[in-house]
Formats: sequence, structure tokens, C-alpha cells
Amino acid sequence: MLSKKAARAFFLVGTAVCSLAMVGLTIDSFRRIPAQTHAERITPAVARGKDLWDHNNCMGCHTLLGEGAYYAPELTRVYRRRGPEFIRAMLRDPAAMYPGQRQMQNYHFNPGQIDDLVAFLQWIDGMDLNGFPPEPTLNQVALPSGAIAPSDDRPQVFNQLCVACHALGGRGGAVGPALDHVGDRLNADYLTRWLHDPQAVKPGTLMPRLPLTEPQIRELVAFLSQLRTEVRP
Amino acid sequence: MKYESQRVAWWFFATCMLLLSLQLIYGFIMGFAHAGYDNLHAIIPFHAARATHTNLLVMWLLCGFMGAAYYIIPEESESELYSPKLALVQLGALVVTGVTAIIGFHFNWWEGRKFLEIPRPLDFLVVIDVLAFIFNIGMTVKNGRRFTTTSLVLFFGLFAAALLYLPGMIPTVNQTSDSYWRWWVVHLWVEGVWELIMGGILSFLLIKLTGVDREVIEKWLYVIVGLTFLSGILGTGHHYYYIGTPRYWKWIGGLFSALEPLAFLGMAIYAVTMARKGGRNHPNRNALLWTVGCSIMSFVGAGFLGFAHTIPQVNLYTHGTLITAMHGHLAFWGAYAMIVLAIITYALPNLTGRRRHDAPSAQIAFWTSNIGMVAMTAAFAVAGITQVYLERRVGMDFIVVQREIQVHFVGLILAASLFTFGIGAFIWNFIKYGRPVGEVLPAGASDETPEEAITAGHAEGIA
Ligand code: HEM
Ligand code: HEM
Ligand SMILES: [Fe+2]
Repeated sequence: MLSKKAARAFFLVGTAVCSLAMVGLTIDSFRRIPAQTHAERITPAVARGKDLWDHNNCMGCHTLLGEGAYYAPELTRVYRRRGPEFIRAMLRDPAAMYPGQRQMQNYHFNPGQIDDLVAFLQWIDGMDLNGFPPEPTLNQVALPSGAIAPSDDRPQVFNQLCVACHALGGRGGAVGPALDHVGDRLNADYLTRWLHDPQAVKPGTLMPRLPLTEPQIRELVAFLSQLRTEVRP
Repeated sequence: MKYESQRVAWWFFATCMLLLSLQLIYGFIMGFAHAGYDNLHAIIPFHAARATHTNLLVMWLLCGFMGAAYYIIPEESESELYSPKLALVQLGALVVTGVTAIIGFHFNWWEGRKFLEIPRPLDFLVVIDVLAFIFNIGMTVKNGRRFTTTSLVLFFGLFAAALLYLPGMIPTVNQTSDSYWRWWVVHLWVEGVWELIMGGILSFLLIKLTGVDREVIEKWLYVIVGLTFLSGILGTGHHYYYIGTPRYWKWIGGLFSALEPLAFLGMAIYAVTMARKGGRNHPNRNALLWTVGCSIMSFVGAGFLGFAHTIPQVNLYTHGTLITAMHGHLAFWGAYAMIVLAIITYALPNLTGRRRHDAPSAQIAFWTSNIGMVAMTAAFAVAGITQVYLERRVGMDFIVVQREIQVHFVGLILAASLFTFGIGAFIWNFIKYGRPVGEVLPAGASDETPEEAITAGHAEGIA
């Protein structure tokens, strides 16, 4: 049978070998991390953004790189998903962007701080994360075939801003009504006024005034107007 | 109780009870927030509740480990503690530091680094405090008359835990490097050196409770902690799959972390076998229940549920979802909370001189808390699996999915109520035991009752 001495030797040798391997791999990892994470893009603004991220414990609700809490959305690819304007609007007044939803604190950041956080999230977005976050592979199975306007036919601003609250083709938020067939219900003139200032059209509505440029509004109105019940030949 | 100075352990255990109760309150705050009732948001926002919940957990576990060491080390080394006064000062300082940190959390004073939220200036105080503790037990071991494997493993585990706190303080600019070092603390604690502490306490309890030969128990202790480090050190790689670290971690982390359950399986087989084999019919049946229960629940929570999401292809989808919270709860409970409650259950009659071994509240505490915790784990599991499928596989919006799974948090709250009832019973029992006024036994006598001490006496004391 195994003696106590042999058991101790097993412990000591195993621990020593694995610790050495761990130290070696750590040294190698730190050699490679800068390239993989594009450390050259860490500007002073990005560094300030990380400080803000840390000092307000954003990780206490959100995950970033899949690490953190499970109360608020994953932010690793938020720059790509929502774009800088949405992030700015969200940080200026979270309650306005997600009315009546799970609440986020308003930190009263100044515009410079908001820019720093956006820069930080943009840097994170560019990292090579070995395939994380994964593409939703059951996407096609779960959607009705031939759903209206696949994502790549939509204006980018629609995919970033509007779907945060509205669904289209079964995908998107549920704060506002779904926008399938919205073209049947609302005309271009109404849509234009609405997008300029929802409150002016319908006081008390939950939809905030979004940071949109004139060309973006024109693009959105054109897109929304053609979301009609399909007349099949 | 054989040594006067072992009494200080009681104060550590009492602190555990207090911090544990507070931890549960904050758990409920988060459970309700997830279920859609975030009414406290303006006063205690989610991230404050969360940082408090997890830091209180770590704090009461550390207090429990320290109490365990102050109880075990004198008995194993056959000498009084180097300085009981230092122990009390060190406990007071730790509590003050911890409470300061937790109050700070409510005023946005923290570092946003999961599990290591304590602000930097307080980190230094924690380190100094733990060094005082290590010094105290280190001197006791050194001046002691007997070196045992149990006390060495326990001491080395505590020492390494203190040392491993330091990588978490390395300043970094890159988010990836920041996380990299954070795992040296968090992972190498719970899947490394804390297992040594657990193994040391487990071995002490088995020697006392089963009467099996010390040589046999300590031999297997080496095998188990050997397995722990063999798998757990490189197993750190399971946190390096998707955070901007090199691809090879998928292989290394996947392979080694998949072996980690072996150490926990070893622990379970070890405790169950020794309990069966033991000739001693120890009167403190509840202590044995917690001891064996701990070894089994740690295998389920850490080994089995850890394995469930440690393979890189699975972790790609479960990384950062409620699946992690499911595993986190049962693992922390089974391995570390239960070992602390086991040593408390064993030590209380000796510390207080009251023999309340068979109090019904003690049995109720064991069963309701464990059933409650398993049910909580199930609630997190259902919520987590749904989240993984809807959000990660189908691609639905985060918030939409959260609304779908709200109902499972009502289930979580119900399960947590049962759990809390069990913890309440444990604390009730703790209070009924009263203050640590038990008498110190004369030399040669044992805490195990006389009749049993005779039958098992030959098995003890072989250093
Ligand atoms: C008693 C021992 C253990 C405890 C207390 C524990 C606790 C935890 C906790 C709290 C987390 C969340 C960490 C975070 O996201 O910040 C975690 C993550 C994880 N644990 Fe454990 N664990 C233990 C053992 C194990 C074992 C043995 C395995 C593997 C077989 C394992 C596999 C994992 C994995 C893969 C993750 C990452 C989850 C993710 O990607 O989000 N754990 N553990
Ligand atoms: C009243 C009982 C409890 C309730 C209702 C509760 C609830 C929760 C909730 C809702 C979270 C946050 C998940 C998130 O980030 O969204 C959490 C985190 C956590 N709790 Fe508890 N908890 C309770 C007791 C415990 C106990 C007894 C332990 C340890 C033994 C524990 C350990 C943890 C850990 C380690 C985390 C962090 C998990 C992670 O990040 O993956 N909790 N708890
Ligand atoms: Fe780990």
C-alpha cells in the first residue's frame, strides 16, 4: 500500500511542477496579451474610462468579458450592438432610455466622462476573445422563415437604437410596441414628427427623444414606411 | 477543550453567525430585485447589495477559518496559543476593516472588481491583519511540542491564502491583465489553498470523531491535497478562455480543470470511508453529519456542477450567466460554509461545557439548510439554463429574457426562506450553548467521552 512518505512526495512534486508551469505560462501570456487586446489602443481616455468603470463598480450589475454580475446586459460588444450615441444617451439618463424597466443608477457623469467610458467600451469591443460572445446558433430555427427585413437590410441606426426597445420580426426589446407592419398604421409625416420629438406628438409617452441626425431620421422614416403587410402575389 | 487559549475561537465563531445573518439579508434584496421588486434601488442598489453579499461571505468564512485554526492548532501542537490577546485584537481589527468596507460600498467607495471590491487602502489593513494571525498560529506551531500533518496542512493553506491575496493588488491598465491577476486570488483560493484549509479541518474532525488511526487519515490527506494542486493550479485556465488571453488556455484550462472534481470526489470518499470504518461512537452525531455532509455537498456543488460548465465548448455559452451563480452557491456552501459550520458544531460543546449534542434544533438546522440550498441551486439552474438558451442560443434581448425568468426568482426566494430557517435554527442553537466557559480538561483527558476514549484511545496521539 501507499506509504505516507510516498503520498507526501506526490503532493510536493505535483505542486512544484504545476506551480512552475503556471508561472511559465503566465509569463508567456503577458507577452501575448498586448497584441491580442490591442493594448496600443489604450489611450488616456480609455484608461480614464476604465477607472470610471472600476470606481463605480459597473461590474456589480453588468458583465464585461463575461465577468461580473448577472443583473444587467453583457457589455463586451455593446459598442458594436448599440453604437456610441445610444451609450451616451443611456449614460446621460438611464431612466429615460429604459422607462419602467429594471433600473440603472444615474451617475451624473459630465460629457467628458461619458466620452471616456465610450472610448473604454470601444477598446473592449476590438479585443480578440477567442470567439466570445458566441453567435446565437439557434437563431434560424427559432425565427419564422422569411421574417421581414433581415438585420443586414436595416439602417444601422435602427439595429443599434430602436431594437433596444422595439422588436421587429420577433427580435428586439419589449419596452415599446413591436414595429412589424408599422407602415400600415403610421404615415411618413407622422413618423418624421415622432422621431424628432415623441413628447411633442404624444405628451407623456415613454419614448425618449433620441440623438438622431436629419439624414438618419429620413433613412428611418423610409425604412419604417415600407414595413407593411406583405401583399403576396 | 484542552487548552485555555482555545476559547478565543468562540469569538470568531460568534462573528461568523453575525456576518452570515447579514449576508442572507442582502441575498434576499438581490433575489427580490431579480424577481422584479427592486424597491430598495434608491438606497441599496443592486451592485451595493451584491458586493456586500459576497464580501460578507468571504469575511465570515475567513473568520471561521481563523477560529478553526485557533481551536485546532493548540490541540494539535499540544501547547497554548502564542498570544490569545493578539487573536482578539486581530479579530476586532478585521471586523472594523470589514464593516468599514461594507459601509463604503453603500456610498460608492469600492473597486469594481468582482469579489475583491474592498478599496485599496483597506486591502493593506487586511494584509497586515492576516499577517498578525499567521504570526500567532505560526509561533504556536513553532513552540509546540508536536508537529502533525493536519496542523501543517492547515497552516500552509492559511499562509498561502494570505500570500495569494497580493497578486490582486498589482496595478494594471489593461482590463485583461486586471482579470488575469484577479483570478490568481479568487480561483487559486477556492480551488487551491482553501481546499488545503478545508482538508486540514476535515482531517482534524475525522480524527476526533471517528477514532480512525491518524497515520491513515493524514496519508490520504496528502493524496487529496496533492490532487487539488495537480488539477487546480493549471485549472485556473478555465477563467482564461474568453477574456483576451491566449488560445492555448482552452486546452490547458479545459484539461486540468476537468480533473478538479477528483480532489472533491477524493474528499467525499475519504470522509465517508473513515466515518464507516471508525470504531468510535462519538456522542456529537451532528458534528459528524456536518463533516460528512460537507464532503458530499462540496463534491456536488464544486465537483459536479463545476464540471458541468468547465469544458470550453460549454463555457462559451454559459460564461457569465446565472449558471455561474448556480454553481457558485452550492460550491461555496458545500465546501466552505459547511466545513465552518462543522467545526463550530464540533467545538461548541467543548468550548461552552454544555452537552446539547442531540438538541432537535441542531438536526433541523442541518436538514432544512441543506434542502433549502439544494432548492436554491435548482432555481438558479432553471433560470440559468433558460437564459443560456434564449439569450445565447436564440439571440433574444437580455432584458426580454430576464423578464421571462423572473418567476424562477420567486422560486429562489421560497427556497432561500427554507434555507434561512435552517440557518436561524443553527444560530438559535449557537446562542443556547451560551458563552465559552467550558472547563479545561486535565492533561491526558480527552473531549471525547471517557468510555469512548478508552476504546479509541490507542488510535490517538501518534504524531
Ligand atoms: C469549492 C470550490 C469552488 C468554489 C467555491 C467555486 C466558486 C465559484 C464562483 C463563485 C464562481 C464565479 C466566479 C466569477 O465569475 O467571478 C466560479 C466560476 C467557475 N467555476 Fe467554480 N468553484 C469551485 C470549484 C470549481 C471546480 C472544481 C470547477 C471545475 C470542475 C469549477 C468550475 C468553474 C468555472 C468553469 C467557472 C467559470 C464560470 C464562468 O465562465 O462564468 N469550480 N466558481
Ligand atoms: C438567503 C439566501 C440567499 C439568496 C436569496 C441569495 C441570492 C443571491 C443572488 C440573487 C445573487 C446575485 C446573482 C447576480 O449577480 O445576479 C447572489 C450571488 C452570490 N451568492 Fe447568494 N444568496 C443567498 C445565500 C448565499 C449563501 C449562503 C452563499 C454561500 C454559501 C451565497 C453565495 C453567493 C455567491 C458566491 C454569489 C456570487 C455568484 C457569482 O457571481 O457567480 N449566497 N446570491
Ligand atoms: Fe475556478
